[in-house]
Amino acid sequence: MNTNQRSWISRNKWIFAVIALPVLAVAWWEFRPEKLFINEKVSEAAPFAARGEAQPVYTGVLEGKAHPTSGRATIYQSPDGKNYLRLSDFATSNGPDVHVVLLKAVEKALGGVAVTGELDKVELGSLKGNQGDQNYDLPAATDLNKYQTVAIYCERFHVIFGTSQLEKF
Amino acid sequence: MVRGWKAVLAVAGLAVLGAIPSATLAQDNMQSDSMKKDDAMQDGMKHDAMKHDDMAPDKNAKALFTGTFHGKVHSTSGRATVYQGTDGKRILRLTHFKTSNGPDVHVVLVATRDAKDDANSLSGNTERIELGKLKGNEGDQNYELPENIDLGKFQTVSIYCERFNAIFGAAALAKF
Repeated sequence: MNTNQRSWISRNKWIFAVIALPVLAVAWWEFRPEKLFINEKVSEAAPFAARGEAQPVYTGVLEGKAHPTSGRATIYQSPDGKNYLRLSDFATSNGPDVHVVLLKAVEKALGGVAVTGELDKVELGSLKGNQGDQNYDLPAATDLNKYQTVAIYCERFHVIFGTSQLEKF
Repeated sequence: MVRGWKAVLAVAGLAVLGAIPSATLAQDNMQSDSMKKDDAMQDGMKHDAMKHDDMAPDKNAKALFTGTFHGKVHSTSGRATVYQGTDGKRILRLTHFKTSNGPDVHVVLVATRDAKDDANSLSGNTERIELGKLKGNEGDQNYELPENIDLGKFQTVSIYCERFNAIFGAAALAKF
């Protein structure tokens, strides 16, 4: 029996081979396993060439903490290398002595609403308005790899109104 | 019996070995082709800029929406931004983009907020707009948006593998 089976299979091995080929080909086409190791890298140019204009480098959506806060925070880089923060579609609540600051993403104060102790911040100035588009110059030495969180901060009561986590544009 | 299976395995092995280099070659070709095209495009753009002044209005092209990718079935990262030129044409641009390579991967706009209602696959009745095959699994790339799409409705960019109904990654668009 065993010998019979062996000889039957070995006699028909080409049939197996012929069946196996298309099955394997289909399986390969379906799963394309080699793509796990091969990358297709492209690098298209921007569709609209903006020359001689400030370019967004970081952006993020504002979220409320102590008070509802919304809009977008974007850091632009001018052709001369100067950076500025722009708030757009911005709205927060009004308050006393409110400032715009940059914080480190790991800042402990971001865990809560009220700030206790020293706040490691980059001061950008008093909030110009609690609604509307507005720009703030960044100090030249600001390390944007470290200070990637925009916070609307009430100095008087040490309360963070809202924050935005910046991400690369 | 053993000899028979050996033969089958040998043929199978050969088939796979044969397929991989040819696929690699095909992809290399694709890559160099697309790179050539891009170069041509850039040359064309430079050309245009030198010849005409009508590149100038494009300076006013605006970013309308933007969002960052997060991985779903495969790790995916980068940014998706919708730009509008002064001619009204809208383009989706992926930057710092990276996902895993795969078969039959497409870029689609999905009528959900971050594809939340179905995390790793698209259900059949989810409205979607096809933007084309993913040009590359890495790098900056542009996709033209069909006219008259309501971006207030189609708020999610999805990197979608049609063959396995798998969402590689998605980006929720928010107003820029």
